[in-house]
Amino acid sequence: MSDAVVTTAAAEERRLSVRLPRRTGAIVAGSLLAVIVLACIFAPLLTSYAPNAIDPSIAFQSPSWAHLFGTDELGRDLFSRVLYGGRITLGAAVGATALSLVLGVAWGFGAALGVPLMDEVLMRTADVAMAIPQILFGLVFIAAFGTDLVNLIVVVGICLSPTSGRLVRSVVLAEREADYVRAAVAFGATRWSIAAKEIFPNTTAHLGVLAAINMANAVLLEASFSFVGLGVQPPRASWGTILQQGYLYIYQAFYYVLFPALAIVVTMLLLNIVARSLQSAPGGRG
Amino acid sequence: MLRFAVRRVATSIFLLVATSALVFFVLRLLPGDPVITNLGATPGVSPQTIARLRHEAGLDRPILTQYLKWMAAALHGDLGKSYFSQYPVSDLIRSRFAATAELAFLGVSLSAVFAIPGALWAARHPKGVVDTSLDAFWTVTLSLPAFIAGIFLTYFLAVKAGLLPTRGYVPFVDDPVDNLKHFVLPAFTLALAGAPLLYRFLRASLLEQMSESYVRTARGKGLTERPVVIRHAFRNSLGPFLTMLGLIVGYTLGGSVIIEYVFGIPGLGSLAIESVLKRDYNILQSVVILVSAIFILTSLVVDIVYAALDPRHRLQRSSS
Repeated sequence: MSDAVVTTAAAEERRLSVRLPRRTGAIVAGSLLAVIVLACIFAPLLTSYAPNAIDPSIAFQSPSWAHLFGTDELGRDLFSRVLYGGRITLGAAVGATALSLVLGVAWGFGAALGVPLMDEVLMRTADVAMAIPQILFGLVFIAAFGTDLVNLIVVVGICLSPTSGRLVRSVVLAEREADYVRAAVAFGATRWSIAAKEIFPNTTAHLGVLAAINMANAVLLEASFSFVGLGVQPPRASWGTILQQGYLYIYQAFYYVLFPALAIVVTMLLLNIVARSLQSAPGGRG
Repeated sequence: MLRFAVRRVATSIFLLVATSALVFFVLRLLPGDPVITNLGATPGVSPQTIARLRHEAGLDRPILTQYLKWMAAALHGDLGKSYFSQYPVSDLIRSRFAATAELAFLGVSLSAVFAIPGALWAARHPKGVVDTSLDAFWTVTLSLPAFIAGIFLTYFLAVKAGLLPTRGYVPFVDDPVDNLKHFVLPAFTLALAGAPLLYRFLRASLLEQMSESYVRTARGKGLTERPVVIRHAFRNSLGPFLTMLGLIVGYTLGGSVIIEYVFGIPGLGSLAIESVLKRDYNILQSVVILVSAIFILTSLVVDIVYAALDPRHRLQRSSS
């Protein structure tokens, strides 16, 4: 009997040791992400320069203690610009992610629990939307809505919703077969109250993973659209627009593109790590 | 097989019609049209002139009529005119098509070249040094947006080292060597985005095949690992691999929009971006529909080839 206890303890330890690095990874990545978000929110406390304060006498200064990320062609402090730009980029990404989740949940629940015809229509619509390469799909909506921060959030949210809808549908289809749903049916609950009260709470782990993935993609789409001049418009600055301006001066000042690029890459990497570890965490079946 | 092909072609036609309708209607969803954008702010333009121009462009008719007319003309190769330059859209597309086609072709080929050897090696020695380091490498490139990778590569290889031109395009017929020099960086950049997906997928599917009983049989009859992986496991992974390659084509076509902008390549992607800036619907809708059509047709061809190679695939599909 003691043998059995030892083996289970050993197995438990092995299980934990396999899981631990991932968990630590999630905690580290999540904390770093929080640092980035807080730095952007509390930007005024971290930098004394206004993001749009022009001073041509100090144009194109390399990174130094006075200007951590250097200065741009108008002598604006790039550290402030990246911090304040993060407010726009991350704010837009949060908005777009929220929209994509709302649309995705409506799309997925409607398809999975609606009448077969509804499922067919919704899923074929997703097929059609996904037959258009994502960037071009976004360009069509930008052309229709015009360039503006709110429009950009809506367009990115729309771009991310077909894949979200499909994923939510597959999750709901799997949950629908679970015993607790049958029990609710036996109690006489209606279809949509089961959806809202029983199935939805059980999909939150998956929705968390989806939110992290969508958020990473939203940061990417914002940067892509802004980089080609169709996203955030001056005088507003986001990581994508700073990158666009910096790219014009790549011969003179590499640090100009380096820092906004790093902000985008590091944020996306951290979000992807969080998504991966949520996926393998004990609560997240998937 | 014929039944499968017919069904598959029908699906593709549906997708083609539906994507073109979606693009067409979304572009006309909100008020504001190109004639007004173009002339509305110009002083001295009478409402009559605006009405005449809108009529000439067909913008005063119901959307469904506009769509059907556009569709009928498009099937005859007439995509209408640019609202601004008055050039036929089909000419504009023709002048931009070669650059995008070459870029996408090189990008997809490089993705396959990067992905296949590593995946074959990783399948022979799973968890080995090569497998682990490739996995780490592709994980990093997967989180690195292609256009940012492109900017970094431009800086280090073109600006700093001066090995390659930073941006621009030379037609292949004018100077093949210079043309390829200009395409090295953009194609490599696109492959950095496509190869990791292809690599992971192929590795997973090879490892799945390696545990099949026919692989055991092949080993049992005394074959060495190399022919087991290449002639047996790889051959059986070809179908799913082709499917993934088809998806990579779509992925690369989408990615090339921004990559063309980064590298100053006058292709369909940069044409699409220019047309959004000018709200030139005719160009934008034709480019988006054309690129989507290429993607849809690629998937169709891939699926039919897959079904021809592997009868199980067509049975699976037609029963679902």
